[in-house]
Amino acid sequence: MNVFKTRHLPLLLTVLLVAGPAALAQQEIASHPRDLVFEGLAFDPPDASQSRYELEQGAVAFVVEDHELPLVNISLTIRTGSFTAAAQAKPGVASLTGSQMRSGGTTSLAPADFDEELDFLAANVGSRIGSTSGGANMNCLTKDVEACLGLFFEMLREPRFDTERMDLAKSQSLQGMERRNDSTPGIEGREWSRLMYGTEHFSTQALTADELDALTTEDLAAFHEFAVHPGNFIFAVSGDVDPAAIVAALNSRLADWPVGETAGDVPEPGFEPLPGLYLVHKEDVNQGRVSLGHLGARLGSPDRYALQIMNDILGGGGFTSRIMSRVRSDEGLAYSAGTAFGFGVHYEGSFRAFFQSRSEAVARATAIVLEEVERIRDEPVSEEELTTSKASFIESFTRNFASAQQIAGLFASFELQGRDFDYLNTYRDNMAAVTAEDVMRVAREYLHPDRLVILAVGNVDDMLAGDPDNPEIMLESLAPAGNVTRIALPDPLTMQYPEQ
Amino acid sequence: MRRILLAFGVLMLVGAPSALAQQVAPIVHELENGMKFLLIPRPGDPNISAGWITKVGSVDESAGITGVAHLFEHMMFKGTETIGTTDAEADRRVIEHLDSLKAQIRVHEQELVRQQRMGLIDDWKSPEHRTVEHQDLLDDFETVLGEQKGLIIKDDFDRIYTGQGASGMNAGTSNDFTVYFINVPANKLELWFWMESDRLNNPVFREFYSERDVVHEERRLRVDSTPTGLLDEQFNAMFWESSPYSWPVIGWPSDLYGLTRGEALDFFDVYYAPNNLAAALVGDFDPDEAIAWAEKYFGRIPRGPREAEPVRTWEMEQQGEKRMTGTAETTPQVQIRYHTVADGHVDEPALLVLGQILSGRTGRLFKSIVEEQELATQAFGGQNGLKYAGYFQLVGQAKGDTAPEQVETAIYAELERLKNEPVGERELQKVKNQNAAAEYRRLQSSFGLMVQLLIFEAGRGWDTLNTSGPALQGVTAEDIQRVANTYFEADSRSVAIYYRTESDEPEDPRLAGLDPQEKQQIAMISQQLAGATTEQLDILRQQFAQMEGQSAQVPPENQDMFQVMIELIRERIAELEEEGE
Repeated sequence: MNVFKTRHLPLLLTVLLVAGPAALAQQEIASHPRDLVFEGLAFDPPDASQSRYELEQGAVAFVVEDHELPLVNISLTIRTGSFTAAAQAKPGVASLTGSQMRSGGTTSLAPADFDEELDFLAANVGSRIGSTSGGANMNCLTKDVEACLGLFFEMLREPRFDTERMDLAKSQSLQGMERRNDSTPGIEGREWSRLMYGTEHFSTQALTADELDALTTEDLAAFHEFAVHPGNFIFAVSGDVDPAAIVAALNSRLADWPVGETAGDVPEPGFEPLPGLYLVHKEDVNQGRVSLGHLGARLGSPDRYALQIMNDILGGGGFTSRIMSRVRSDEGLAYSAGTAFGFGVHYEGSFRAFFQSRSEAVARATAIVLEEVERIRDEPVSEEELTTSKASFIESFTRNFASAQQIAGLFASFELQGRDFDYLNTYRDNMAAVTAEDVMRVAREYLHPDRLVILAVGNVDDMLAGDPDNPEIMLESLAPAGNVTRIALPDPLTMQYPEQ
Repeated sequence: MRRILLAFGVLMLVGAPSALAQQVAPIVHELENGMKFLLIPRPGDPNISAGWITKVGSVDESAGITGVAHLFEHMMFKGTETIGTTDAEADRRVIEHLDSLKAQIRVHEQELVRQQRMGLIDDWKSPEHRTVEHQDLLDDFETVLGEQKGLIIKDDFDRIYTGQGASGMNAGTSNDFTVYFINVPANKLELWFWMESDRLNNPVFREFYSERDVVHEERRLRVDSTPTGLLDEQFNAMFWESSPYSWPVIGWPSDLYGLTRGEALDFFDVYYAPNNLAAALVGDFDPDEAIAWAEKYFGRIPRGPREAEPVRTWEMEQQGEKRMTGTAETTPQVQIRYHTVADGHVDEPALLVLGQILSGRTGRLFKSIVEEQELATQAFGGQNGLKYAGYFQLVGQAKGDTAPEQVETAIYAELERLKNEPVGERELQKVKNQNAAAEYRRLQSSFGLMVQLLIFEAGRGWDTLNTSGPALQGVTAEDIQRVANTYFEADSRSVAIYYRTESDEPEDPRLAGLDPQEKQQIAMISQQLAGATTEQLDILRQQFAQMEGQSAQVPPENQDMFQVMIELIRERIAELEEEGE
């Protein structure tokens, strides 16, 4: 009897205490989660224009307040990169300038002293320059924001470019360059870019040891002078800040900082990939890495939503996607398999199906992927596939807004890319509107089985020999346009490719 | 396989020592069956981070069933009477059939194991030693497994969550606890209650024997085939004498072969009973509604047959220094461990701060042994307080031709300095400043806060989140000198020295400073990153931003690895950006 009492009393109390939702507790438990009924999620994406500030000297800031914790976060995006003419003239200068801003100290502080100052303030500060953008960030306690901003701007405006720290970074880069041909993922990525965008485009240029060696601290200082100035700045500020105060603090540091040259437009590749089967030989691996595809679309494409769903069902959606399900779950040919449909900001991204499988199975897995590319063009996707795919995009949309830092960062990336903020407001409706017919239409329009580039990196002899149990499928017979080309590995330090 | 890894990453982040300046006050609601809910409504962010923890880890295992806690973590994703099957009744019959076949097979296996023990056969697993009857049973087993395939809906659990916009589902097992977590959109909280209570209330451990093999593969991948995996495992086993911390979380291979479903079920009944569980929710929800759902869904699960008992066996006091040497394809290195104190001991804050004084870019070991003496490429140390015992571990990676023994001597010199003179005022203040900031930073992410609440609750109680910070801020230079003298005794230490076996495989130079486990983690992460696509760019960027935000809460000894991780993600983002342009 005692047991009986204790078992029911607390439940009763709860029912009394939480009168409203308690009604829920008395309902039957649904027999399957599909029977659960969810309220719509009332969520409006935050309005970017409310957060946007035009600063002195052409800089822009997005400020998103969140006073829950006494922390301030500033993430600066810089419109520059290795694509600029100045960087192309001195290969490697952009990336080294980016890392050395933080590592090399400032005109008033030696590198070790600069590290010590930041550590004492418990501030996280970093800097970098990539291919089409650069950046710097700081995170500190509200009480230290003045001191940190001081150090942050000292780093941005007057970096020292210390020779010792630069030499250390160079020796580390060199060690990395020596390993360029060691890993098949690295080779695959490099050769895929070259096949998609050609060997002349900035995005496919690989630094040589001589070029790295030739860089001087004067080069870094000159590139810094060119690239790092307020005209190129987009700030994303989040956390415990008063927008007016932080805008004033930023402005006071920008006002006397002259605006320099603009970065210019990112060059397009102007290259048409040549269909074919491309083989890169690595003797000592038992796994083939395969990439298969062609150019994709631009970010602004009106077909973006249907393309995302098409890609998700074809191979982008992990375990639930067709290629993963056939290549991995059904056939056990690969641990990882899928597709990516790239939307480029400045030029077309690439559509790429990929998998890694044991050498003998490469031909069979390739054939399956080709079948699936054909199938999604030939027949409409099922209602269930469409619903699941749309739901996963729509329902996880809110994850983009999980913190003030994320929101400010999202706005800054839209600003950098010149995108319309309204995209965020209409995204879910646009996704919801995609039909099975749309998916088939974009598959036909954007997937071109006759124009495929197939890149296979691994033991070429084993991959070509195929699987004795399935002799009817041979890799060479799958070569688009009958074109089979072998790519020899370049010298990792000079990046000279041997004549074939 | 992926499940255990991620959780280790999380542990690394939240295990950071810290001082607290911000009081966290969850709504605490305990069900009549003993399950505790910790609720922190955080309106604004339209998501909810949700998870639960069970106070069971490898420390609760015993000889013969090592690895069962971790195997359970895998089994929990295999569905229930409703999820993962097309016909629960037929599936149940198949499972029982499989169990009975396995029991008969085991008799044959035990005979073969005996023969191997007597030296009559080389390997009990090799097929040529099997009797016809034995082989028939194995064939029957395969046939029945084949029949079961038609009844199983693969990855149903993942699929249902994903289709509703949930993300980041994962779990992890440690020495002391097992934790399960996910993020759900704010309007889908009831789905979480349904799914999680269902797998606790109606679990079906289908695919038990094949999942046992998956774990075996995981062991091969993570331990056997990594350069120092087996050495590290043996060093740990050498360090602990009587304590159950001596066996690895993943278990000994022979135990993995032998585990039965019956043993797993007994384990479940005690350790996965609601009275051994705690759940936490952080995000945009109505706490009254959440409590009502907690009562409705988890309230139906009966209390366990008995309470889980604390571990009985104490570690024996060490009687003299223990040393081991080994060779591996790795940077020559030394690892030194001293027995110290369990999590929550009064001396722990001083030991934690002492570790911070030694570690990091501007810490003593790096400045002295790496920068000034140029003996090592990396050197760090820190306190690890487990539930029932703890240790202080120091690691030094030898540079170039330097012998690891030279690094060892240099580390002892730094420990002597700590014993003989109090640390400087500014040095101590720097560590305290970092701890104070870390207190806030670790609360930034709802997901991180949820996981910390759970881990603290499984340890000394969730309020540790509020008390650990002030304890660290209270540490004095005298405290540090005192604990250095108390715990850094030659007689209580164990030392492992690894020499390099020559290998052709060159290593990423950035990994030079990392310990073997960290390298392994980095290797896993690189692999995952290599598979990331332009579609996942936004997720990667988010992760990157989050990690940068979190970097101060990473313990100093893990900073280098963390920086490499950040760097790898940054590189991958850059690559993908180019790809996408």
